[in-house]
Formats: sequence, structure tokens, C-alpha cells
Amino acid sequence: MDKIFKLNKREQLLVQFIMLAWVAVVLIPFGAAVLNALKPNVGQVFREPFGLPDPWTWSNFAKAWVNANFAQYFANSTIIAVSCVVLVTFCASTTAFVLARMPFKGSTFIFICFLFGVIIPIRLALAPLFDIVRSLGLLDSLLGVILVQSASMMPVSVFILVSFMKGISTELEEAAKMDGALPFTLYWRIIFPLMRPAIATIALLTFVQAWNEYFLPLIFLQSEANYPLTLGLQRFNQQFSIQWHMMFAGILIMMGPTILAFMLASKQFIAGLTQGGVKE
Amino acid sequence: MPDDKQASRVKLSYRTIEKIQRTLLLTPGVLLYSVFNFIPLLMLFYLSLVDWPGIGPKEFVGLDNFAKVLTQPYYRDQMINALLQNVIFFTVIIGCFLIIGTGLALLLSFRTYGRKTYQVLFFLPYPMAGAAVAYLLDLFVHPRGPLNAALTQWGLADAPIPFLGSEDTSLITMALFYSWHRMGFAIILILSGILAVRTDLLEASMLDGASRWQSIRHVVFPVLGPAFILITVIVLVDVFNNADYILLIMGPEAGPLRSTDIMGTFLFRTAFGGSADTTDTNFGLAAAIGLLTALMILPAAIFLALRNLRKT
Repeated sequence: MDKIFKLNKREQLLVQFIMLAWVAVVLIPFGAAVLNALKPNVGQVFREPFGLPDPWTWSNFAKAWVNANFAQYFANSTIIAVSCVVLVTFCASTTAFVLARMPFKGSTFIFICFLFGVIIPIRLALAPLFDIVRSLGLLDSLLGVILVQSASMMPVSVFILVSFMKGISTELEEAAKMDGALPFTLYWRIIFPLMRPAIATIALLTFVQAWNEYFLPLIFLQSEANYPLTLGLQRFNQQFSIQWHMMFAGILIMMGPTILAFMLASKQFIAGLTQGGVKE
Repeated sequence: MPDDKQASRVKLSYRTIEKIQRTLLLTPGVLLYSVFNFIPLLMLFYLSLVDWPGIGPKEFVGLDNFAKVLTQPYYRDQMINALLQNVIFFTVIIGCFLIIGTGLALLLSFRTYGRKTYQVLFFLPYPMAGAAVAYLLDLFVHPRGPLNAALTQWGLADAPIPFLGSEDTSLITMALFYSWHRMGFAIILILSGILAVRTDLLEASMLDGASRWQSIRHVVFPVLGPAFILITVIVLVDVFNNADYILLIMGPEAGPLRSTDIMGTFLFRTAFGGSADTTDTNFGLAAAIGLLTALMILPAAIFLALRNLRKT
């Protein structure tokens, strides 16, 4: 074993070199964004993109934040993402509970319907989806986007939760049932606490997905007051297309929270996102 | 007797309450999913049979929409172009993932210094929003951007290369953007495949006098098959419906000269038209294209679903 995975000095050096090369590929675009977001004018960005800013212009961030209405976009993104997390964790956990633990005539059919949603991406049905959202009068409203984005996360979440629930024993529930506990109590007192790790996974998955979603808001939102960050960034891009230093600042503002969250909980991110990806 | 009767009534009502509560628990999730996901998917079948610009009356036309896409030169050529470019897009991405991803995952599985840190750094772009990544890399490879500045300065290029401005390179550049963004995902999946190789197998191969490379080739690689297939299927399903990067950077017209047009942009353009003030919208045709695309990715998608099902 050791002979395979242990490296001698020369090999170690070579491996380190390759690793650092890929780190450079990953980090240089981020680094260029940081350097150039701090430059006072676009001339400096074009003249020497890798040179240090002179003077360091931290006010670019404030300017981008104010001029581009980022506060509004930020608030909208937060509303959308948090609502999606609440809606998806609640709806998916109740559905998964019933499907996994209280089977009835037709529960397999419902499960297969959810399976259908895992198989076919909702984007392919954008025309009928648009029609339904419009006829419900939810076009250009945050509520409409929240419902659509939550629904798109439902199949994967139900899958993750059902498979998780198959793995936990029914003893506690049986005992509670003996004592006359009804489904509501079972769900709230026993199932929900037991499912916490899986629910944390789908909550993270849903939050990241909802925060990063570009396509669905693009279709359903028209007025700028409703834009989330992804659409706001597009608007910003059109507005400041010549002022690159501002563009970089805007991109970094958008990435900031994600980078921060990732630094704080990289392990959970890697585990959660790959699990979600596998299940997609 | 009366006692008994009461007991059975209580029992019955427990059952009834249980049933009511079960239904109440099931309703919100099923309602949410069916209205905003399942019913639209089913409506694809109906809408694909009508001629409808998205507003006004629908006119039933049978299989006309399919005939249009498959035979009318104007639509057929777009469809073939989008499909072929989608295949190229997919091939470049999957090539990057399998070659670079496997290489890096293999190196991460060795006892290298700082491999935990490397793992985190390699994964860093993955949780970022596609919109931010698209614009960041768009500026990065721009003719006046940092990459071209470096290339010309070091004499690697005589003149700035218009990566996204030329028909020859734009599609490949887009595929590389995608790969840059998602590489961490491929690395982690392959790495967990490598780490799951049974140690006794490796030890046996060492005892038989296999060299490191021989052990990797004959013991580790064969076990990675499922991970490779999984990555391929996930990427396949994704790139045939998701065209975010191209919509963000190039818009629905998928320029230059439609050289970055893939199924996702073709579908979007058919439904909502190329530019904001267009009247050329066709929901019926869009539904037909969506259905055809769904058919194309169906084998891969079913494979993925079955795999998940087996796991549950």
C-alpha cells in the first residue's frame, strides 16, 4: 500500500508542481478580479491587468453597490433563497415521510411521478410552465419565482430524503404509535429530528441552487425591482460594460457571500453538493 | 357491550384521523410539485400539437410542429446545427473532466503535502453562481483582458486572441468555462472512487510485484468505471437542457453567427424570440423541441434514475 501512495522527494516535488499549476488556473481569474476591482479607472485595467492598483480604490465596491441597486438585488435573492429553503425542506420532508413510512394505494404512483421530475429537467418544459405561471397571475412576482424554483428542487430532495429514511430504523415510530401518536406528532417529534442531517443537505443544496439560479428568474421576472443578483448582474453588465473595474467589483460583490460560506463550511459544501449532483 | 362499541368507534376515528393527517402531510409537497413541475412536463405533449405564439387561441395542428423542426430547412438547419454543436460542447467538457479530473484526483490520492487544502481550492469555483463565473471569465479572456495581455507580453501570441469573438474558438471557450467551473465536482467524484478501492486488492497486487503504475492501471482504473459513467450521464443531461453561460454571454442569438448555439439556446429562442422586442414567439414549436430534447437525453436520464432507485 505505502509503496503506491507514498511519494519520494522527487515525485513529491513534481506532484506539488502540478497541483500548484492547477491552483493557479483556479485562482488567477479570482485574483485578477480582486486586483482590477480596486483600480481607479479602466485605463489602468487595460494597461497592466496584473499590476497593483494605484491608488487602491476601495470605493469602487461602495459605488457599485449604490449605483447598481445591489441592495435591492441582494434583498430579492435572499427572499427567494430563504423562502425556497423553507418551502422545500417542509414540503419534501412531509412528502418523503408519507411515501417512505405510510404507504397506501397510489403512493408508488406518486413516487414514480416524482421520479419523472428527476429524469426530465423542467427547463425543457419552459413553454407550458410559462403558460401555467401566467394563468395563475404569478408572472413578474417573487412568489411565482419562489414556487417554480422550489418545485424544481422537489424531486431531488424527496429522493434524498426517502433514501435516507429507508436507512433509519422504525423502532422509535413503532413505540410512539403504540402510545397512540398520530402522523403529525410522529413527523414533528420523531421523523423531523431524525432526518436532520439529510434535511441539512437539501437545505444547503436548495439555498445554493436558488441563490445561483439565472434561467427561471430570467423567464418569469420583468420589472427590475424584482431582480435577484443573477439578473441584476446582467443589468449591471450592460450598464457598466466599458468600466471594467466596476464590473469586477460587481462580480466580487455577487461572489462574496458564497466564498465566505464556502470558507466557513467547505466540508459540508463538498459533501452536500456532490451528493446533490449525484442525485440529480 | 356499550364499552366495546365505544372502543371500536374510538379505534375507527383514530384510523380516520390518521388518514386525514396523512393526506394533509402529503398535500403541500404534491401540490407544489405537480402544479409547477409535473403538469408542465405533461403539458409538453399537448402543447407540442398546437400552433400557438404564446398568446391568443391555440390551433390544433397535429404533428406539424415536429414536421417543421425535422423537415423545414429553416428550422431543421438550426436544429442540426444546435445539436452538433451541443455534441462538440459535451465532448470537450467530458474530455476535460475525465483527463484532467482523473489526473488531479489520482495525484490527490497520493500522500502529498497539503492535499486537503488543494482539494478545497480545486472545489472553490463550483458553488459560485454561473452568472458571476460567466462574466468573470468573459472579461478574463477578452481581447483587452488579463489573459491576452499576459499572452502577448510573454510572446505566446502576436496579437490578442478573440476567444469569444471568433466562430472557430467561441464554442470551445464556452466549454472550457463550464469545465473550469465544474472541475471540482468531477475531481471529488473520481477521488471518492479511487479511495473506495479495496486495500486488500492493492496489497495483493503489490505482493505480486506490480509496479505503482501497473497497480493503478489494473486495479484502480477498472473500479473507476461507475464514477466515469456517472459523471458522463450527469453532464450529458445538464448540457442538453442548460445553456446559461451562452445565454449570459452571447444572448439567445448565440453569436458569433450562431456558432455557440446549443439546444438550450435554440429552445429559448424558439419560445421567446431572439431579442427582447421580437414578436417571433412560438410556444407550440418550443414544446415540440423540448419534447425531442427530452427524448434524446431520456436513455441517460433513465439510467441515472434507475441507479438512484437501486440505491434507495
